Amino acid sequence: MRTVILASMRRHTRRYVAATLAVVIGVTFIIVTNALSSAARDGMVSGLDAPYANADVVVSDLDGDQAASLLDRAEKEGAAASVLGWAWLPVSRDGTEFGDGVDVGALPRDNTMRWQELVDGRFPAVDDEAVVDANAAKGNDVHIGDTLTIGKGRDALDVEVVGTVDSPSAMVWTAVYLTQDAQARWLERSQINSVAWHGQGSVDDQISDLSSAYPDATVQTTDAFVSDQQKVATNGVDVLAIILLLFAAIAIATSVMVIANTFSILFAQRTRDFALLRCVGATRRQVLRSIRVEALLLGIGSSLLGLLAGTGLGVGLVALIRDRAPGARLGEVSFSPVWFAGAFLVGTAVTLVAAWLPTRRATRVSPLAALRPDTGVDARTASGRLRIALGVLMVEAGVLAMAAAIAATAVPVMVVGGLSTFFGVVVVGPVVVPALVRVAGSLAARLIGMPGRLATSNAVRNPRRTAATTASLLVGVTLTTAVLTGLASGRSIIDDEMATDHPLDASVSASTGGALPAGMLSEIRDLPAVEQAVELPGTSASIDHHVGGIRLVAPDADAGELMRSRRDFATPAADEIYLPADAVEDGKVPNKVTVTVGGHTRTLRVAEVDEDWGDVAVIAPSVLADLDRSPTTQAIWIRADLETDAEDFSGDLSAVASASDATVESSLGKWAFVDLQLDVMTGAIVGLLGIAVVIALIGIANTLGLSVLERGRENALLRALGLTRRQLRATLATEAVLLSVVATLLGTALGIGFAWVAVQTMLRSFVADVSMSLPLGQLAVVVLVSALAGLMACVLPARRAVRVTPATGLTME
Amino acid sequence: MIETSLHQTTGTAATARGLTKTYGRGDAEVHALRGVDVDLPAGRFTAIMGPSGSGKSTLMHCLAGLDQPTAGAVEVAGVALQELDDTALTRFRRDHVGFVFQSFNLLPMLTAGQNILLPLELAGRKVGRDERARFEMVVEVLGLADRTGHLPSQLSGGQQQRVAIARALVAQPAIVFADEPTGNLDSTASAEVLDFLRHSVRELGQTVVMVTHELDAAAYADEVIVIADGRIARQLDQPSRDELVAALQGRGA
Repeated sequence: MRTVILASMRRHTRRYVAATLAVVIGVTFIIVTNALSSAARDGMVSGLDAPYANADVVVSDLDGDQAASLLDRAEKEGAAASVLGWAWLPVSRDGTEFGDGVDVGALPRDNTMRWQELVDGRFPAVDDEAVVDANAAKGNDVHIGDTLTIGKGRDALDVEVVGTVDSPSAMVWTAVYLTQDAQARWLERSQINSVAWHGQGSVDDQISDLSSAYPDATVQTTDAFVSDQQKVATNGVDVLAIILLLFAAIAIATSVMVIANTFSILFAQRTRDFALLRCVGATRRQVLRSIRVEALLLGIGSSLLGLLAGTGLGVGLVALIRDRAPGARLGEVSFSPVWFAGAFLVGTAVTLVAAWLPTRRATRVSPLAALRPDTGVDARTASGRLRIALGVLMVEAGVLAMAAAIAATAVPVMVVGGLSTFFGVVVVGPVVVPALVRVAGSLAARLIGMPGRLATSNAVRNPRRTAATTASLLVGVTLTTAVLTGLASGRSIIDDEMATDHPLDASVSASTGGALPAGMLSEIRDLPAVEQAVELPGTSASIDHHVGGIRLVAPDADAGELMRSRRDFATPAADEIYLPADAVEDGKVPNKVTVTVGGHTRTLRVAEVDEDWGDVAVIAPSVLADLDRSPTTQAIWIRADLETDAEDFSGDLSAVASASDATVESSLGKWAFVDLQLDVMTGAIVGLLGIAVVIALIGIANTLGLSVLERGRENALLRALGLTRRQLRATLATEAVLLSVVATLLGTALGIGFAWVAVQTMLRSFVADVSMSLPLGQLAVVVLVSALAGLMACVLPARRAVRVTPATGLTME
Repeated sequence: MIETSLHQTTGTAATARGLTKTYGRGDAEVHALRGVDVDLPAGRFTAIMGPSGSGKSTLMHCLAGLDQPTAGAVEVAGVALQELDDTALTRFRRDHVGFVFQSFNLLPMLTAGQNILLPLELAGRKVGRDERARFEMVVEVLGLADRTGHLPSQLSGGQQQRVAIARALVAQPAIVFADEPTGNLDSTASAEVLDFLRHSVRELGQTVVMVTHELDAAAYADEVIVIADGRIARQLDQPSRDELVAALQGRGA
């Protein structure tokens, strides 16, 4: 049989291209995951020890207060200490905040403990100078000489950027480094990773001293601490690798479908070969074994190719990321033999499994089949009732499970229900898909006539093949649509939350003691991005509980109109006051405060402490009238178009405000930041799922290509009878587009349904009123892309089909 | 456009001059046709005979515009085929040439009726009253009236060939080419199909050119062209069986 196997593999090489590609892509995906995760691990782990290079011991599991007291202790004992931690603070340049906050760390007091490596400029000499991480500076377009405002309100600090640094440790790097003394004002609310300590005496003595001084904290030798940190970093990378492997699994599942379909088509076409083999004396077992060996060889070959491709692509990709995005902190790639063996086994096993069922069906052929006259390819009858009943049952059970999952907010039940529904649809595919193709086809026939009708009857003539071809695309499209819809719904929920947290888009407040000029409101209203703006009357006051001098404003009902949420918020009750968060010392919110304006005093209940409406306190108009008979304009509140570029908007606003030395607050940057994060996440998931979609499209091209080979004589007949090349091309293109569009529409419908279930199940416990939002634009793009991809899928098969002259085609086997 | 009456008034439906067809190159070079000159009379039933490998199918393919000759000129219904590009050639076939092949004549997913009307549909012609009448007539003559709704797989081999003949006749082509139309049929069905072909020449005025290697089939023809080694060996007018046998064996002696 060996000659038969080798000869047939040689002869059918081209027909195996798609199956090979599917396996290669799956295996490549795994190896690239290995490359990325090893590079990420190296990037995370290397340099972790840098901050502790000159330390004897490391103290961790401590809070900001303890870190501060450790610094004091170091001062007293003549030890060197470096606090590795950061405060998450609003940082702005010219009134524009960077993102939703920036991590601000400290340079060690003692230069021997300094671990940041200077790239450009110099290290700070005084407390109003700072260095920034070189990658963060590049990403945010910050340069030496820029002035950054760190923090807000009473603690705000203006620093000049005097240098850029490299931060070797991925665990404790921050974007901005102040001097230790400058950072100290936020130390209490800083997140502390660890404190590196170099004291007097032996390491053991230092450990026992510090342990007794800080019984809650963990005190370790440097080596022990660094190895713990390495474990933490590695675990993070492992999670990333597992997520990537999940997407690889989806791609591989799609591959299985494509390969199984390829084999069943190939074997159907070779039925006569098999029958002939049986005629000349091969046993069923021999035939079976021969084609399984064929599948095995294919699997081994493709897996090896995949290992090669994955190695090349992985190394290239990591090099590219390191070059383009140094902030991603990728290190050196190191491939592991375990991953290679695993990927190879998966690729080979997938091929064998995918070939298993088709081979069984193929070898059931009787020897007599070879002797029967060639009747062409029979249209297969639709699948049995049992199959339909099974599919319908699976769908019903799945829908029930999902309904139960929504009721009980049980995610595992939802997943099981979703899987059951999806596979139920795949099982009834041979009935459903051709029916849908017929509907879509009748439209195509009306549009382009004969080619449309031929394409439709070609597409539905083998329902099982049609269903199998579309099923692979269905996987990718369903998941993509579900993710897009789910994220869009999540986005609307996050937007709601943002609106709650940041009810006011922007504000302009008078500088202390002054008032805003009368013409400013109309100037602001003229800015293109401003949708609405109102003036707020107010006055200057002083408040006890260490709040000190502050401006009071009293919004009326008009101001409520421009709030993004909590419209009632703009109108406090007559005995209430809202304080800005920065005005309250150390987060200790007093119940009641006494407000003094000139000779008048009032005691008011603190009803809200929040930020984002500027550095002012909010009271009711009646209270203001009591406190100050002639209030002046102290603030302008603004509602803006959220689509506007945040930087441009702040710039425009600052230009207007600077004339009268007013201060500008804008939360547009935070909206943009959240948007960007969601966009990146959507892009990443869709991109990863895209690989499965690409495999599915290769499958469609493959089915079409094999069908063209199979229908060589038919096409020749049509050409003889007067089908032009263009019409033949149109026929094949229509067939491909019908298949891809029907799969896409079905997948979109399923995906939206699944997203709805997922949103109901997973988000209802967080948000009372869960509404679905359909990203119609994105969904339309998905359908369009798959139609275009369908067209692309038919290019090669169509070229091959039209090249054949009718005379050659008619004599084809 | 070609006048429909043209092929009936002029004496020839198709002519070939110096027709040469070579496959492959170098050592693998095969000369299927070596300079064939032939005139096929209009309104007649012509058979092209020859042993297998003699080039008779290639000759038919070139005459019908299914294949491009290596050299030489072909004129069918007054049109020089070598001057047409692929699309024009396809349109020409669709409008002026009918085909009946040995097997695999019908599209498996279309019914017999749809198969018969396929050339009209491909040409984008509306099936009007005239076409409908022609369809009814052809179907009636070929005894397929109660079979038009059946799929090819539900028809016998003879019935399938009759559907193919109906398809070839329905568009009133200038010339019908039949390539071994009885090759897959038993003797009864063969006789039936050949009767219909002859009938279409005698009663409907069609021009039919049939490629065959069967003596019995050739006996139905008005004229027989014997081809051997890529050349015309003999051209016989209503030959007797003995004349035919002699022509085939003697290779032109």
